[in-house]
Amino acid sequence: MNLEQPPSMEGFLSFFIYVVPFLIFVLSFVTFAILAERKVMGTMQLRSGPNRTGGRFGLLQTVADVFKLLLKEDTIPKDADRTLFKWSPILAFVPAFMVLAVIPFTKHFQFADIGIGLLYYVAISSLSVIGIVTGGWASNNKYSLIGGMRAAAQMISYEIPLVLSIVGVIFLAGSLNLNTIVGAQQSVWFILYQPVGFIIFYIASVAELNRVPFDLPEAESELVAGYLVEYSGFRFAIFMLAEYVYMFAMAAMTTVLFLGGWHPIPYFEMIPGAIWFAIKFSLIFFSLMWIRFTFPRIRGDQLMTFAWKGLIPISIINIFLTAIIYEILS
Amino acid sequence: MIGWLKGMKYTLNQGTKEKITYQYPEEPIPLPDRFRGIQKFYPEKCIVCNQCVNICPTDCIQLTGKKHPDPKKRGKIIETYDINFEICILCDLCTEVCPTEAIIMTNNFELAEYSRSKLYKNLDDLNNHVTNLREENKA
Amino acid sequence: MLRTEEMILNVGPQHPSTHGVFRLILKIDGEIIHEATPVIGYLHRGTEKIAEDLQYTQIIPYTDRMDYLSAMTNNYVICHAVETMMGIEIPERAEYLRVIAMELGRVASHLVWWGTYLLDLGSQSPFLYAFRDREMIINLLTELSGARLTFNYMRIGGVKWDAPDGWIKKVQEFVPYMRRQLAGYHELVSGNEIFISRVKGVGKYTKNDAIAYSLSGANLRSTGVSWDVRKNDPYSLYDRFDFDVPVRQEGDALARYECRMAEIDQSLKIIEQACEQIPSKGPVLGKVPRMIRPPKGETFVRIESPRGEIGCYIASDGSKEPYRIKFRRPSFYNLQILPKLLKGENIANVIAILGAVDIVLGEVDG
Ligand code: SF4
Ligand code: SF4
Repeated sequence: MNLEQPPSMEGFLSFFIYVVPFLIFVLSFVTFAILAERKVMGTMQLRSGPNRTGGRFGLLQTVADVFKLLLKEDTIPKDADRTLFKWSPILAFVPAFMVLAVIPFTKHFQFADIGIGLLYYVAISSLSVIGIVTGGWASNNKYSLIGGMRAAAQMISYEIPLVLSIVGVIFLAGSLNLNTIVGAQQSVWFILYQPVGFIIFYIASVAELNRVPFDLPEAESELVAGYLVEYSGFRFAIFMLAEYVYMFAMAAMTTVLFLGGWHPIPYFEMIPGAIWFAIKFSLIFFSLMWIRFTFPRIRGDQLMTFAWKGLIPISIINIFLTAIIYEILS
Repeated sequence: MIGWLKGMKYTLNQGTKEKITYQYPEEPIPLPDRFRGIQKFYPEKCIVCNQCVNICPTDCIQLTGKKHPDPKKRGKIIETYDINFEICILCDLCTEVCPTEAIIMTNNFELAEYSRSKLYKNLDDLNNHVTNLREENKA
Repeated sequence: MLRTEEMILNVGPQHPSTHGVFRLILKIDGEIIHEATPVIGYLHRGTEKIAEDLQYTQIIPYTDRMDYLSAMTNNYVICHAVETMMGIEIPERAEYLRVIAMELGRVASHLVWWGTYLLDLGSQSPFLYAFRDREMIINLLTELSGARLTFNYMRIGGVKWDAPDGWIKKVQEFVPYMRRQLAGYHELVSGNEIFISRVKGVGKYTKNDAIAYSLSGANLRSTGVSWDVRKNDPYSLYDRFDFDVPVRQEGDALARYECRMAEIDQSLKIIEQACEQIPSKGPVLGKVPRMIRPPKGETFVRIESPRGEIGCYIASDGSKEPYRIKFRRPSFYNLQILPKLLKGENIANVIAILGAVDIVLGEVDG
């Protein structure tokens, strides 16, 4: 497939044939990621987690939950801004799916190998906050409003360290193309060259994902559920879906940028790249869950201080150091 | 920097510990003998002394007695005995004062009903409890 | 001119972090609180009024429902008041059983507080860990009294049941277990940087404020006042045990957290000693008249509940029902300082402050 070809029916069909199974794959990933999260959470909290629906391991629990959400009555608060209320789940959901296009899962399995893949990823993923803010505003609920505002402040603040932290990677790879970036990690993964960048990227991505300890926008115990308060049924399901797809994308991106994508660790070359990708990806995913079970929530002002006085200066210093060392060595 | 790492280690360790969930509806919860569930009432033991009615803090017991059918015997026998489980707080005082242990506690605690009227337990309802009777009723 | 409007935010009565049906009307500007008005009474059952029509024994189950997280202390305060009025001697074994039950209740109550407080701060796991250990205490107390929360265990002049066989042994085994768990809790939470940054310096008040607002319990001790009724005005057998009163100087939420965690440790110490000292047999109910009629007069007793100083005032006219009964419910008094603490704070701090006060709504509303 190639994006430069003129639009044609065949082109459309071939994309379609590739994309639909992938979408289904992502959806089933989300289904089982939620289940896995609940199971791991259960294990760490001395519970069993879902174990009724779908056999002993609760394999169909999420499916049942989704059906429940889809069958629920569609309620819209009386004084809500109806148009925006309906649009905001879509606004949150579309960017999360769009970014999947550029992620190279293996050497050959990638939908759009565009030259500025990284830039595309960063740009599109920052759009999802619009969905959250409009959702919070359109609900016409004070808790939602505060949640939405927190989300805006948080996601915009953490967008900056997120981008700055990957500048080092771009230096080293010399390209914004994700395939080239993975290719450059053939021998050494960038986590070793860019440990600081990795840590900042990781923290910022947790914040971007609105997960504990940065789950202020939907702070369960303060804002009840933040911007989600008024959402129920399938709109809520779509928000959740967007969140988990975004999590999928972020974990995949961390793997691609810092953990060498599909590259195996030395001497284990016989294991195919896809499996390597999956292993690294799962590690990141597990660490995201693990953090969630352990940490309390950070406070809003501390969150801002942390981003602006901590992460951003450090990432700028990191860029300069990388540049200087890179110049000296090359 | 060390504190949160300790916490992470702790949660990971807990993953290896035994689960503490009660598999409740499938497996009944083990309850000690003293547990206070719905009462069991023995009409033949009751001497209609009214002590349980007097001690009940929520006034949920109502009883009536009648003359003993056997004219040679003195005293009364019980005719109706109702406990309103909408307000009974299972405080155990009625069983504590009953001189003949005509009313005792059982370990049956699953008392939810779909309608309120079913929560009015009459003599037969209370007499019909035969399982999980409490052994030790007087201190 | 650019101007922001004040917004009124209703926190509660149905809100996950108000620990019951408690409502807080916040006037906020952005996320800063200008004014906070607590609204209480959603759980008011009129215990004191109902009690005027009840015999003294019948009041005991009602006290269970005030502070439902540590019903044993509530049971004790009413029994203690009546016993003081009538001058009843309590058998030693009964008194030891009471102490063990009360201290177990204190540990359970602090565990609930710990778990829910961390839940308020956004951490989920501690809640489940705390409830695992609390469940053990609850099981012990169920074995002793027959109920999980509303024990109705104490009687005027003693206790309802003697401990079942091997119960004391089980308690003795529980103590070291709980110590180990407590060390784990400190590992999980007490050193966590995020947790400390959330609570340090939050909800600070001074010694004088605390006394002026009539605070008690850990809320008072966190400001450097060493005041624990068990030590300063010993009741029951507390003068026989060797324990410390944990005191902190800072007066913030972290200090209250540390006080309560240290109190768990001290309670375990008391339980340990009581289990050793308890006479192996003996009556558990003293000589009490069949009908309890305290002499005409009035009395006030106070004891230390997990939340602070719980008091009971009884005015008796010599009949079998009290003329007037009044409970000094510590949660209610501790809550008074909330509007002052919340002024000028961030919304995220509301629950950190409210949680640290440790209220039980059943007790606030009475
Ligand atoms: S258990 Fe208590 S409330 Fe229930 S009937 Fe007996 S005395 Fe009344
Ligand atoms: S106290 Fe016992 S004997 Fe007396 S009326 Fe009640 S149930 Fe019957």
